[in-house]
Amino acid sequence: MHQTYTTRREASNSFARNRNTVRHTKKSLGSISQIVIVSMLTLVFGLIYVAEGTKATSFDYEISNVESEITEMNAKKDDLAVEKARLNSVAAAKNSTVAAAMEDATVTGYAD
Amino acid sequence: MRTNYQHLVANPVASMPRRIKILKNVVLIALTIIAVRLFFIQIIEHDAWVAKADEQHTLLETIVAKRGEIYMMDQGEPVAVALNHTTYQIIIDPAVTDKDGIKHALETYAKDYITANLDEVYNSEGLRYSIVAKNVPRDTANKIAEENLSAVWFQKNNQRVYPEGEMASGLLGFVNADGLGQYGVEGSLNNLLSGKDGLLKATADVNKVALSIGNDNVRIPAEDGKNVVLSVDRGLEKGIEDLAMDAINSTRATNAAALIMDPNTGEVIAMANLPNYDPANYGAVKDASAYINNVTEVPYEPASICKSFAFSAAINEGVMTAETTYFNQGYEIVDGWKIQNAEQRSSIYGTIDMRTALYWSLNTGSIYALKLLGGNPSAITQQGREKLYDYYYNKFRLGQATNIELIEAEGYIPDPNEGWGRDSVYANMTFGQNLGITMIQTATAFSAVINGGTYRTPTIVKGTLENSEIIEKEPENIIEDKILSDDTSAAMREMLIHNRNYKVRGGIDKPGYAIGGKSGTAQVVRDGAYDDTYAELVGSYIGFIGPEGELPKYVIMVKMWGEGQSIDSGEAMNLFDKISNYTINYLKIKPKV
Repeated sequence: MHQTYTTRREASNSFARNRNTVRHTKKSLGSISQIVIVSMLTLVFGLIYVAEGTKATSFDYEISNVESEITEMNAKKDDLAVEKARLNSVAAAKNSTVAAAMEDATVTGYAD
Repeated sequence: MRTNYQHLVANPVASMPRRIKILKNVVLIALTIIAVRLFFIQIIEHDAWVAKADEQHTLLETIVAKRGEIYMMDQGEPVAVALNHTTYQIIIDPAVTDKDGIKHALETYAKDYITANLDEVYNSEGLRYSIVAKNVPRDTANKIAEENLSAVWFQKNNQRVYPEGEMASGLLGFVNADGLGQYGVEGSLNNLLSGKDGLLKATADVNKVALSIGNDNVRIPAEDGKNVVLSVDRGLEKGIEDLAMDAINSTRATNAAALIMDPNTGEVIAMANLPNYDPANYGAVKDASAYINNVTEVPYEPASICKSFAFSAAINEGVMTAETTYFNQGYEIVDGWKIQNAEQRSSIYGTIDMRTALYWSLNTGSIYALKLLGGNPSAITQQGREKLYDYYYNKFRLGQATNIELIEAEGYIPDPNEGWGRDSVYANMTFGQNLGITMIQTATAFSAVINGGTYRTPTIVKGTLENSEIIEKEPENIIEDKILSDDTSAAMREMLIHNRNYKVRGGIDKPGYAIGGKSGTAQVVRDGAYDDTYAELVGSYIGFIGPEGELPKYVIMVKMWGEGQSIDSGEAMNLFDKISNYTINYLKIKPKV
């Protein structure tokens, strides 16, 4: 005679397999985690703010440097204009050795 | 005996609340004090603290407008005669700055700009600020800065530079230490040359670098001054100044003024006031009268030059011609005053014509013209005075500012009816005394006499220079008034040319040119009356040049004088002769072939 039997273990497994159990657990962050997260967020936003502010300010320094360069170049341009005007002045021309060596004009041409 | 130590044992339970209480109270009091202080700072003193914070974080700067440059013309091109230059003042703190270091740097690079004795500076106790060099050019200042000396500051200055040196100083004026134009073009066109300063208000860092953060940042850019182009020709200006200076050096005159203008446009092409001064070093001038432009700012009596105006008036009214005759007895008695001719040679006594009267510059001739204006050849009348006034004041605009773009004096023309001795006053006015007019008024009126009869407002500003291009000035308040007929003008030109016939014969005036002129020797008023000793005289001459048979191209006027010196018109005429020939050559005015 063929006899079937179920082991106790099997019976136990079968029971577990067919059991539909739900475990309800309240999940929430601890107060320390909350502080850490808020701090981290604050730090991140703070860093972004500071980075943006620094970026704007670094542009300002760049602008300031460029403006200084423009001022310097304008000053150089003015210096050169003054030097040119001095070299081209009537007094300079009159006192030049080249002018001193020139003969007085004796023939005058007339513009039509 | 039993000793009780109980009182020495602390009772922690009982003492703790009391200490905490005290601490609590102390903290409370401190907090209250802080709260009260904060209330005061944030509520009561709010505005003051905001202002203090703003002061620390806000950069408030004036953006200085660049002063416009001044140009003259040369061969049709504008050339700068007044420009700007950045220079530096070097300031040290003797308590900190290394003496040997700064001494070596200054003597090596900026020897010509040292303004202080360094030994004296360093011997002055407690001195923390000393300017040791001024007007140091940028390159030189940079070299000194590279020495990296402690407590050395470089203060930037804008300096006006006049590359032609003293030339035309009376015309150009100067810019004072506050950046304001004084006298001449610098003074009269100061608003145009100065431009408009801008404003920078911004949040700044500790180094006062403007930052873009902040809500109240303001940047109003400066409007630079305009570059002004004068119609004056630089070469001609230099030439006539040299000639005028030679004239001063070879006569007793101490001063001379000269003017050349185009009578057909009113454009002034030369204006000289001698002696000049250095406008870049204007403080060195001892007598402030050196700053005055005698051509426009000093009314005077041009004397017999005014006969041209009296004669023009009579001819234009149709009561006189060059051929009109009168009896010259050498003098006239008017209001009990004996008015004599300067020229008393016997050959011109008797009946002579008006051309001869003008040639010899006879006062009796111009008084006769006044009589003719009044309709009575034997007396000066109210009508004559009123007509002469009408011509002098209303037509020739003598005694009125001409509206040239320079500082001007008005002068005066006496009223024809108000006051004592009107006849003698008006008799004097026919030969340029008893009135006050400027050289520019005289030359402008003379231009009308010889240019065909049109009065034109004189002008010395050609326009403004923008991107190397001259923008012609819009005509403003320009008067063009036909005040004399063509015939009157032609008759006057003929008589004025006749005045100089002997100059042609003498080879002074070149053939092929029409050169006319009139002299004037003015007595000087001393103690309310004309000085009959002739100890001091002012010599003037006015004339025109141009090709023969054409309308005159240029009017030239010169004036020479010296305090206590008798300078007659002959000396002024000699200067005119030189200037007229120089001008013909310089401007290459073609003669009639």
